[in-house]
Amino acid sequence: MRWRRALVAAGLVVAVASASWSWGRMETLRSASPSGAQVLYLPSGKYLKIVSLGFPEVLADLVYIWSIQFYSNYQQTDRFTFLEHIYGNVISELDPKYVDPYLIGALIMSAEAHQDEMALRLLDKGIAANPSEWILSFDAGFLCYDRLHDYTRAALYFEKALVIPGAPKAVKRLRAEMYNKMGDKRSSLGYWREVLEGADTDYIRSVSSEHVHDLTIEVDLETLRHAVEAWRAETGANPADLGALARRRLIDSVPVDPEGNAYLYDRSTGEVSCRSPFKLRRRSAR
Amino acid sequence: MKTLAIATNTFREAIRDRILYLILVFAILMIGSSRILSLLTVGAEEKIVKDIGLASISLFGVATAIFVGVGLVFKEIEKRTVYTLVSKPISRSQFILGKYLGLVLVLAVNVAVMTAFFFGVLLAKGWMDLAIGRAIFLIFIELMLVTAIAILFSSFSTPILSSLFTVTFYVIGHLSWGLLLLADKLEGEFGRMVCRVLYRLLPNLDAMNVKGAVVHGIEVPLAQVCAASVYGLSYTAIVLGLAALVFRRRDFL
Repeated sequence: MRWRRALVAAGLVVAVASASWSWGRMETLRSASPSGAQVLYLPSGKYLKIVSLGFPEVLADLVYIWSIQFYSNYQQTDRFTFLEHIYGNVISELDPKYVDPYLIGALIMSAEAHQDEMALRLLDKGIAANPSEWILSFDAGFLCYDRLHDYTRAALYFEKALVIPGAPKAVKRLRAEMYNKMGDKRSSLGYWREVLEGADTDYIRSVSSEHVHDLTIEVDLETLRHAVEAWRAETGANPADLGALARRRLIDSVPVDPEGNAYLYDRSTGEVSCRSPFKLRRRSAR
Repeated sequence: MKTLAIATNTFREAIRDRILYLILVFAILMIGSSRILSLLTVGAEEKIVKDIGLASISLFGVATAIFVGVGLVFKEIEKRTVYTLVSKPISRSQFILGKYLGLVLVLAVNVAVMTAFFFGVLLAKGWMDLAIGRAIFLIFIELMLVTAIAILFSSFSTPILSSLFTVTFYVIGHLSWGLLLLADKLEGEFGRMVCRVLYRLLPNLDAMNVKGAVVHGIEVPLAQVCAASVYGLSYTAIVLGLAALVFRRRDFL
């Protein structure tokens, strides 16, 4: 009896030893395989939708939760290899109305993988599938503004977001500023005036009035400088004063700056400037 | 009355088989998932909890309908208790209908308690949306149809084969829309016609699936719920009629 027990105990020890050895071996093999390898076996959401048997939303949830864990593991340096496939082909195909993965996927693509165009492709897909979600157009616009400095594209996305009910007022301010950064000062001034008219807090009123103040000066200076140039092209000399521009109908009337001061004009150089200081840091126009 | 007596006995039998323990699993799943998900996900917690809740109600219900449904008639035959029943002044149609109603009652209790748990979690989290009720109602209609299919197969086959057949029908029911896609791809008119006829004949369980829509806050019109319910109940009646016909011709000796 005793030797039987000893045999069983020895067998158990051997089994435990072999299990722990094989476990260690498996771990070594797993870490040796490329980290993105498991993603390779994940087919497109179009096919997964069929496999899900009426539960594509749950499958999308599971892949999304898995993706959060996978992409937040900073030890896997090659984790971005199939990033677009996971968010653009799998989750968004399984549940096109699922907004969070578009936003988080775009954030990972842009901030972590530095693939801004990929992020915009994902957001464009989200916008097409969810035309009533302003947040997607807003996110795409902010990405163009903040990371790509592509203000024209940013303005277009903000325009898209603005026509969707529920879009916050901040989008109007961003649109106005994008036109300013694009160099379209007149449109920017029009949009900032719109923001000022609809301002519901002292802070917004103050910020928008400062923008309107500075942009008015910039637009006036631009108008006057163009008129002086036109005069010079016609006559070969500078006008005697700014009133001459109005008399020749090169401008409607001589403007004054927002603080009521006349614009300064140097006849010898033809330079037009403003004595009132800018309220914001728009030094380039002075 | 006779049908109701059979239904009541079927219900009691299912309760004795501890079917309602599934509800406990559901409760743990719901409460557990709502707590764990906040650790695992970024945003979308509400959507995931609603998805899991609706999917669990549906899956637990289908599992009950199939695995209890396929054994209902077979067990009576195997244990020979069916002899005592058919020797009484009870028609075979009444027997089938009674068995069916008993299991539907079990499912109704199951779904009602699971819904109460689900709504409790949603209320506690502040995510309550009554539109979810429409999705649960249609899940129940779908379960009624799946139960009828399980009983149809159970009336002439063994539980293992019946389970396989019912699961196959469940899968086909959720993929029948694929037949229309196939019809568009086929070149021959005969092939297209076969696909379209099959699409009409096979149960369209996806018509009763509005889970995604309610979770995303997309309005599910009452007319759609009514149409899907009428379709589901009519199909159920046809399947039960077939089951009664098959069972009437069945010889137990």
